[in-house]
Amino acid sequence: MATMEKSKMIGDGKSPSQILKDIALSQEGILFIILVLTIMILSRSNENFLTTRNLFNQGRLMAEVGLMALPMTFIIITGGIDLSVGSILGLSAILVGYTWSNLGMPLEVAIVMALLGGSLAGFINGLIIVRINVPPLIMTLATLAFYRGLAQGISEARSVTGYPEWFFGLGQGTFLGFPSQLWLLIIAIIISITVLQRTTLGRTLYAIGNNAVGARFSGLPVDRTLLIIYTFSGFMAGLSGVIFVSRFTTTRSDMGNGLELDAIAAVVLGGTSIFGGKGSIIGTIIGVVMVQLLRNGLAINGVTNDATIVVIGSVLIVAILVNNQIQRLRQSE
Amino acid sequence: MTEPILQVTDIHKRFPGVHALKGVGFDVRPGEIHALLGENGAGKSTLIKIIAGVYNPDSGGINFGGQAVAFTNPRDAQNAGVATMYQELSLYPELTVAENIFMGHAPHRNFGLFSIVDWNTMYSQAKELLEELEIYDMDVKRQVGTLNVGNRQRVEIAKALSLNARLLIMDEPTAALTESDVESLFSTVRLLRERGVGIIYISHKLIEVFELADRVTVLRDGEYIGTKEVSETNEGELISMMVGRSIDNLFPKQEAEIGDVVLEVRNLVREPHTKNISFQVRAGEIVGLAGLVGSGRSETAQVIFGIDTAESGDIYIHGQPVKITQPAQAIEHGIAYVPEDRGTQGLIKEMTIRENVSMAVLKQVSHASFIDTDAEKNIAKQAIEQFGIRAYSTEQIANKLSGGNQQKVVVSKWLASNPLLIIMDEPTRGVDVGAKAEIHRLMSALAAERGLAILMISSELPEILGMSDRILVMRDGEIVAEFTREEATQQKIGAAMMSAESVV
Repeated sequence: MATMEKSKMIGDGKSPSQILKDIALSQEGILFIILVLTIMILSRSNENFLTTRNLFNQGRLMAEVGLMALPMTFIIITGGIDLSVGSILGLSAILVGYTWSNLGMPLEVAIVMALLGGSLAGFINGLIIVRINVPPLIMTLATLAFYRGLAQGISEARSVTGYPEWFFGLGQGTFLGFPSQLWLLIIAIIISITVLQRTTLGRTLYAIGNNAVGARFSGLPVDRTLLIIYTFSGFMAGLSGVIFVSRFTTTRSDMGNGLELDAIAAVVLGGTSIFGGKGSIIGTIIGVVMVQLLRNGLAINGVTNDATIVVIGSVLIVAILVNNQIQRLRQSE
Repeated sequence: MTEPILQVTDIHKRFPGVHALKGVGFDVRPGEIHALLGENGAGKSTLIKIIAGVYNPDSGGINFGGQAVAFTNPRDAQNAGVATMYQELSLYPELTVAENIFMGHAPHRNFGLFSIVDWNTMYSQAKELLEELEIYDMDVKRQVGTLNVGNRQRVEIAKALSLNARLLIMDEPTAALTESDVESLFSTVRLLRERGVGIIYISHKLIEVFELADRVTVLRDGEYIGTKEVSETNEGELISMMVGRSIDNLFPKQEAEIGDVVLEVRNLVREPHTKNISFQVRAGEIVGLAGLVGSGRSETAQVIFGIDTAESGDIYIHGQPVKITQPAQAIEHGIAYVPEDRGTQGLIKEMTIRENVSMAVLKQVSHASFIDTDAEKNIAKQAIEQFGIRAYSTEQIANKLSGGNQQKVVVSKWLASNPLLIIMDEPTRGVDVGAKAEIHRLMSALAAERGLAILMISSELPEILGMSDRILVMRDGEIVAEFTREEATQQKIGAAMMSAESVV
């Protein structure tokens, strides 16, 4: 009994300053500090950067990648990856245009079709990964090409325009003073954090990422969980596709090209281990915000696009190195 | 008396927070097999790493081949003639047998600035080395990855010979071997002894010490306890030297009241390892399942637990037929499985004790999928108290626990699921003697006091004989013999396990 009380003191009874230090030195804490520094530097060099208008605009732009980065965090925590989300976004965008314009259905139905199409695309990824044991990298690399090809085939390289005015509210309008899609992103973030931290699904994701065999031998529903998250990933890519069309007012089959890399970069920058078993939504969100603000801040400071990419790449590398170093030091403590 | 090849005196080694070795000294003679015994954490690994040049001692001396030496890295030690075989073999699976043997010192021809590997010489020398070990059937051009563990070990020994090793250190070499491989390893080791190589042999298995070693040195908590001639000591003395107290009974079997049939399996088939298996386990009964490695015991257990699905046959729980295609269903029907491979199947080592202990009952500790962390903590606290798991908190990472304590976490995880039947697959493998007795006591108590039905798979015959009420023997995917506790003997079980082989 005496040892139990002692262990309680060591385990739970940390002083407030110790807890604060723990938070500041966690993966997310460090990233957050880097993010604040970046914002400070960017806002000093250009007065247009730290304005409500500009930040709202950036909020719009990061919503699509953000929505896809959430399920991507889940997937990478299990040790998997989903390279096909950019293509699913494109396919869903085409499904909106095709169902509405070519099939002459109401736009509401077209949106539902796009969401269903995205979910189905994700479900197919998951099904083959689980049933046939294809590595996620290979499976989604194949569907990266396949879904993009499908989008091009359906659209026959024609773009669709002339959507009704109300539809643009999602991508260009505001709700309670905030960009509409930012609300969606915030709701999705809250749900994702809750699922990952509090539910059996979240626990199962970490268990699979650390040791899938052990998870299975403990009776956890490994296959079902993987199926759920790949389907969820497809659904979120579909939702991003709908928002993309609404923001862009046009449908083209090359939409979302390469966005999967932005989503993965944000997740990894946010401290989620590419080997699985470790990671958080907060980290991913900081990653998404950081990439977007850097891109924007450099652009309005007159840095050319090519140079911007170089700077972003450098910041990513520095952030990861600093973080690795600090986590290593903490572990040896 | 011959001069010792290795003489270690008064070695001290401290790591942050641990005084790992406190003045240890012993010696090894040429042509001697010297066993090193001790519980996990006794300092054996640290000691051999110091001898092999991996660590530097804080103080103390090493005398090798009559000279004082101070190896600063493993290469120094190797060049001087110390070869070490660690538990994880250090071979390259993609390369051939010959390439592995000559890794780092391949015979080569020089052409001015260039040198080219002399493949023919390498192959013929590799063949000669293997023949010196009386191994004639191994293709030196074969990829090491395609060999079984026993043959890989032979390659490792040949590698040590190629370096002209005068001292060979073997760290638990039989941990992953089948019984026939153990025999051939022993004869190779004896061959080396005849050649005058000094051998340090680390093992948990006392039987091996008595079968193989000439002398034995015991360590405990980093201290030197003593060195004995194997012919002048016995098992009880060695155990009490290792644990510092005498363990009066390694197999504390309690008298249990045998109740109704809990599990019945009829004509279970899953090719190729499970062919027509039928048996029963009753409440309060411990049924031992003996057999050689590869006889299909674990595979059959995993079919019952739903890891693999049966092709045909029936499983009954309390007389009711049940369908099990997934572990979750088995758990629902009250079946628990403590697997053989604790590191990957039993535990998620990177996660905390709390998360591991609640893993099989995650549904019970959550409401509408939301996990109740307090309920989890309670289960984990109970487990720590009830089973004496040595941990400072429920939030400790499982990987930081010793083997015996990890096993207790796995067992408490399954007891949390409140099972009717618990299948224990090699429950004390890789666990030291003290923890072994504790796990046996726990099993006995579960059967006798809680009326649990226990199916115990074990490759250690003393464990099978000491713990089981009834013994089943498997061979080639079938149950070939059944004995009661009274009629079973080591000879009878051994014969049943192997009789097919003796015909060939």
